[in-house]
Amino acid sequence: MSTTPADTAVEIGRSIGVSVPRREDRRLLQGQGEFADDVWMHRQGYAHFVRSPHAHARIVSVDTRRALALDGVYAALTGEEVKELCESPFFQIAPEPAAKIAEYPLAVDKVRYHGDAVAVVLAETRELARDAAGLVDVEYELLPVVVDGVAAAEADAPLLHEQVGTNVAWHGVFDWGDVDWALENADHVVEIDHLHFHRFSSTPLECNAAVVHWDPGTDTVQVKSNNQMPMFASMVIGPTLGVASNRLLFASQDIGGAFGNKIGSYPQIAALALLSRKAGRPAKWTEYRTEHMLSCGHGNERTFLDTRVAVMKDGTILGFKTRAFDDAGAYLHYEPLGAVIWSQVSCGCYRLKHLHVDYTETLTNKCPTIPNRGYSRLQHLWLIERIIDIVAHELGFDPVELRKRNYVQPDDYPYETPNGCVYDSGDLPRSLDIALELIDHDKWRARQRELGRGSGKRIGIGIGSTLDSGTNNFGQARIINPELPFSGNGEAAYVKLDLYGEVNVNLGTTPQGQSHETTAAQVVGDVLGMGPEQVHVTAGFNQQQNTYVAFSGTYASQFAVTGLGAAKGAAEKLRAEIIEVAAFALEADAEDIELADGMCSVRGDQERAIPFIGVANLIYANNAALPTELRERISLNCRHVYVPPFEVPDPDKKRGNLTLTYASQIHACVVEIDEDTGHVEILEYAAVDDCGKRINPRIVEGQVHGATALGIGAALYESFEYDGDGQLQQASFYDYHAITALDAPDIKTADIESPSPFTPNGAKGMGEGGGAPLHAICSAIQDALGDQDAIVSDSHNPWERVWWLVHSGERGEPRGVRVSAQAAASAEGES
Amino acid sequence: MLLESVAYARPDTVAEALQLLAENEDAAPLAGGQSLINVLKHRVASLELLVDISRLEELRGIAAAPDGGLEIGACVTYDELDHSPEVRSAQPMLADVAGHIEDQQIRDAGTIGGNCCLSDPTNNLPPLLVALGATMVIASSGGPREVAASDFFHGYFATAVGEGELLTSVRVPPLAAGASAGYSTVAVGADSKAIARAAALVRANGTIEEARVVLACVSPIPARHAGMEEALRGRAAEPAAVAAAAERIGADLEPLGDAHGSAEYRRAMARVVARRAVCQAIGNGGPQHG
Ligand SMILES: Cc1cc2nc3c(=O)[nH]c(=O)nc-3n(C[C@H](O)[C@H](O)[C@H](O)COP(=O)(O)OP(=O)(O)OC[C@H]3O[C@@H](n4cnc5c(N)ncnc54)[C@H](O)[C@@H]3O)c2cc1C
Repeated sequence: MSTTPADTAVEIGRSIGVSVPRREDRRLLQGQGEFADDVWMHRQGYAHFVRSPHAHARIVSVDTRRALALDGVYAALTGEEVKELCESPFFQIAPEPAAKIAEYPLAVDKVRYHGDAVAVVLAETRELARDAAGLVDVEYELLPVVVDGVAAAEADAPLLHEQVGTNVAWHGVFDWGDVDWALENADHVVEIDHLHFHRFSSTPLECNAAVVHWDPGTDTVQVKSNNQMPMFASMVIGPTLGVASNRLLFASQDIGGAFGNKIGSYPQIAALALLSRKAGRPAKWTEYRTEHMLSCGHGNERTFLDTRVAVMKDGTILGFKTRAFDDAGAYLHYEPLGAVIWSQVSCGCYRLKHLHVDYTETLTNKCPTIPNRGYSRLQHLWLIERIIDIVAHELGFDPVELRKRNYVQPDDYPYETPNGCVYDSGDLPRSLDIALELIDHDKWRARQRELGRGSGKRIGIGIGSTLDSGTNNFGQARIINPELPFSGNGEAAYVKLDLYGEVNVNLGTTPQGQSHETTAAQVVGDVLGMGPEQVHVTAGFNQQQNTYVAFSGTYASQFAVTGLGAAKGAAEKLRAEIIEVAAFALEADAEDIELADGMCSVRGDQERAIPFIGVANLIYANNAALPTELRERISLNCRHVYVPPFEVPDPDKKRGNLTLTYASQIHACVVEIDEDTGHVEILEYAAVDDCGKRINPRIVEGQVHGATALGIGAALYESFEYDGDGQLQQASFYDYHAITALDAPDIKTADIESPSPFTPNGAKGMGEGGGAPLHAICSAIQDALGDQDAIVSDSHNPWERVWWLVHSGERGEPRGVRVSAQAAASAEGES
Repeated sequence: MLLESVAYARPDTVAEALQLLAENEDAAPLAGGQSLINVLKHRVASLELLVDISRLEELRGIAAAPDGGLEIGACVTYDELDHSPEVRSAQPMLADVAGHIEDQQIRDAGTIGGNCCLSDPTNNLPPLLVALGATMVIASSGGPREVAASDFFHGYFATAVGEGELLTSVRVPPLAAGASAGYSTVAVGADSKAIARAAALVRANGTIEEARVVLACVSPIPARHAGMEEALRGRAAEPAAVAAAAERIGADLEPLGDAHGSAEYRRAMARVVARRAVCQAIGNGGPQHG
């Protein structure tokens, strides 16, 4: 693997752009981190959830008596009791009729997926809790199951939530430009019957965990957990539990990976709160891996039917029309926001003008989906990349040239997409050129031709072009439900000068490996003229000591903009205060004060200086020496909320600027397919990243590596599948083959920097990565297939699926794609 | 998941172990524990007593006869097989396969005896031991008995080892002059479950004199494929002839399909791995670990 070395030589005040070493590493590598499972509270009990072995069943009875009879079992809760204790079900983002979904912290009356929680037990030890949970007797009456996200929408499908009257959680038509005109006037129309984006997740190393204490003394609920979006969790569970938000106190220090998945632990946290109150003890829960795989949440599965693409002779793609079915699983956790989030990148990297997406989100007897790295955009970007490659394959275009012809061009920025999103900056053609050079594209093209048929091997070259849209405009929620009182975004930070002149930063975020302490120290240090090592950033998040807004947390590729924007703003405020106090002390003009290395001095006269400790002393301990006005106004405690410049989108037209920044990732790869087995070996892999100004290049590269490995795993190995009875087939790492170092290829990386004109520091959010490896690997497999073979129609391509594809032509199987008659004729004429 | 509470004994001798197993109904030998403990944690089985045999010196040795015959104690670990000069020189394929089972932690604990006694159709060693013509030595209160590896495996998680018995060693006969082994696997990822696997032992001298082809993962137990073996006999030791012989593998297999591979794919892959294993044995084809 190529890795950028750490750079320890930093000029004071100029650390942005330098790969300073990660300050988190020392404690993490020495085992001194504090993860949720490390938290211990006096008198705590251990909780274990009883989970349904069935996908859909009526709960006839739950009997906890045998469990409670064990010595050392403190309490148990069932769904029925939880319903009594809750003020209301969880609030729903969805409009009617899905707004009628009544979800509680435990299943009430029915279980709706394999793994649904029916009861929870609290006991003296973890082992005892597990044993006691095994003694909870649950009688089920089985119900018919629906596991197919398309079939679920049919009128006669078994209903998950009877009161809703349908399994359709959300439906809407997104129509921009004039797609009917485009299809009529195109030279070619390419029709793709069926494309399927599969279920997988990021399987973070650390599963969910929480210690929840309903403290009767202070009447607060303390939640020490690894939930990554605590303010969202608080807003959902507070009203359900009847606890005011200033008494529902979240905290976390280190989090062992989250990837969006850990937004979804709020039902368990709510159940633990009730359990804690009932038992009069803190309730500690650490999720087991199988439990995690069954119930933590999976990434969205999406099927695209009857896609029709309008293409001109010269390769210009006018647009497309499709029907999308997104399978949200049994409950709506954060959903149906995914039904709009994809439209941040409606046209992908391309100048497509006419788009029509008929979008249905359905409920099925499967684990609820939850945001997963690349949330909802990667499915759509995959669709677009499949379209590009299939069009190239069917009409005989070079996939590189076709992309370059249709890419948004460098001088198009700021580029407004058909639905009003504004792509900020970038250079896609150059990124692609660099990626192709890194994989030695021309050499492999030649090798591919030489190889010919009969060798038993095939070579394919693939490209994945993606955008990593970051800094959401939460106003897009109104496109889903116009009643929702959400819009904009923001993040808070708090920077202070402490008693002896130390600089301290508190963030509103919940980092999970994104190095917020390191980069915030760089940004704040640069503002205050100090080295990053002189800035202390408080580790983790604590609602009682940190500052926050409702959007706070770590998710959706935004920290470099929102979190660092807030840190920068707060540091600038502190800088101004320090200068004011120094100017008073030095009897100089504020404009003449310079800050360097913890000293304030008068420009041109280094002798006239006061250190930060002196400034702090005047405010904290010596304020009679200051004029009244100054001492009453200045606190050296500065809070700043960064607010991106958003407007409320138009829910009717489904238009608006939905995110602030659009980092790009262009991946390219070369694969070799073994015709005998379908084994795909990655021979070359390159990722070119453009996230604007990089605060710390090495940290960016780490994110690129992680996103690449995840995507390769998803493309070739990782899949959550359910059988017809709704049983999850991959509920442990025996069956779910998470990618390991043995499977990962060498990843070559390169970068370009197209600063964002819209952000405080030119940076763009990054890290999710847009699922580029899924696109690139599908693209490469497609490239290796012949004219008569079926198209690559699934995002998951384990050996067996590739083997079927490679031999599909010989078998005379339907190819799943057509070029409309008149267009086919002209295509032949061309080639 | 967590273990249910279970009693644990660590006897000092094989005789004591046999006695404990005979006296306690729900008792089982614990070797490397890499499978048994996980089975118990997942609570698909439960036991009253674990009899830890992993440190019994009687089961830990590797003895090599001058002719290259090996007697391997049941509790010899994969890592020890991999690093034993005797095994490396007498049966290089056995050392290689053992050295590529999963990861280092598992290789440090997992044992040849446990690998066989579990009789999981995806385990690495059973097909190879059948191909090598190994003999399994079983001890019981009535004394030792020997069972050919080809008769040892009875079905999913069932072997010739009866209740109250122990596998004590595995005898591997020396390779005949001109004989060499081959091994090939199709698996989901680098260190994951096998979908189809074959082991072969071929004696050839330009022409194939004798071949054993053992298929695994396509039936509950590793099984020789008589049709392919017969088709190989007397043929030129070269890939085209091997490929032709592999065509004999087909409808006679009735593998189960699961999340890792459909029945049809497994059947097709059985043909591929059988061909590759034989080609490797005759010196045509790279190493095929896994
Ligand atoms: C993540 C993971 C992946 C794995 N993947 C593979 C793989 O790809 N290929 C592979 O071959 N193996 C694999 N294994 C299994 C591993 O090789 C096991 O160690 C092996 O199946 C059993 O060996 P053991 O010594 O650990 O036996 P144990 O787990 O201790 O015992 C297994 C069974 O055999 C019985 N037993 C053990 N020794 C004796 C004896 N001497 N006499 C009678 N009965 C006995 C036990 O009672 C038990 O029923 C994997 C294990 C893990 C944890």
